Amino acid sequence: MRTSLDEIKQLEAYVFKQQSPEESLLMQAQLHLDKGLAERLEDQKKVYGLVQQYGRKRLKEEISQVEAQLFGEAKHRSFKERIFKIFNL
Amino acid sequence: MKDQLTSPAGREQFFLRLYQESFPDLAKYIQKRGGTLADAKDVFQDSLVIYYEQLTKEKPIANQKQQAYLFGIARHLWFKRYQQQSRFLNEVDGVGEGLISDQIPQEPAHRDVWQFLEQAGQKCMEMLKAFYYDRLSMEQLAGQFGYQSTRSATVQKYKCLEKVRDQVKQKSLTHEDFIG
Repeated sequence: MRTSLDEIKQLEAYVFKQQSPEESLLMQAQLHLDKGLAERLEDQKKVYGLVQQYGRKRLKEEISQVEAQLFGEAKHRSFKERIFKIFNL
Repeated sequence: MKDQLTSPAGREQFFLRLYQESFPDLAKYIQKRGGTLADAKDVFQDSLVIYYEQLTKEKPIANQKQQAYLFGIARHLWFKRYQQQSRFLNEVDGVGEGLISDQIPQEPAHRDVWQFLEQAGQKCMEMLKAFYYDRLSMEQLAGQFGYQSTRSATVQKYKCLEKVRDQVKQKSLTHEDFIG
């Protein structure tokens, strides 16, 4: 694996606390000394947050599609009627 | 059940079943408390997201408890929603408090973020999502994305991470851009 990818892997292990205490300490020291590395770590954390947001957005789309099926398709008519009745619709 | 959640088709079946089993009860519950069908739909959608995230991250919840668990999340979300609307906060008890650590975030305020995602490459985002959000194993990831080995899938995953990270840096996107 390329050096830069190896670094990403190590930063990931640091973020998710998958390192041994020694490795983690070493990483902390490196982050203290290397500003560029610290910046890359912060950017990488942002990516994890971004992926989480993206995942939720996509999941909500999937759920909305299921909901649309249940309220729109003829084969689910009894379900829809049952729900509408609850709300006196 | 976790295996069922690893593919879009499996998730569809899973959510269909949950709607059929649990949505009518929630609808009744919310209707009795003055809520609308739109309220019930919103609350249920958000509950399913939270439930899904719990399932992918933690030990499976026993089958017979699933419905009760999902209903607990929904009831908690409904209370929160009701509290926000109500001026009489003290009348609402704290049932369900502490059940949920995550909050459902609002859609990002900046459309740019989603445009940016498109640029980062749909395949990369899907792959990162499958691993970090849906929590597929490396074997499942390799299978779903057509890699010969877990090793090549792993390398590709880190390449994608690097690609998106470079874009984050370039655009100086901040956390606020994502949470709106």
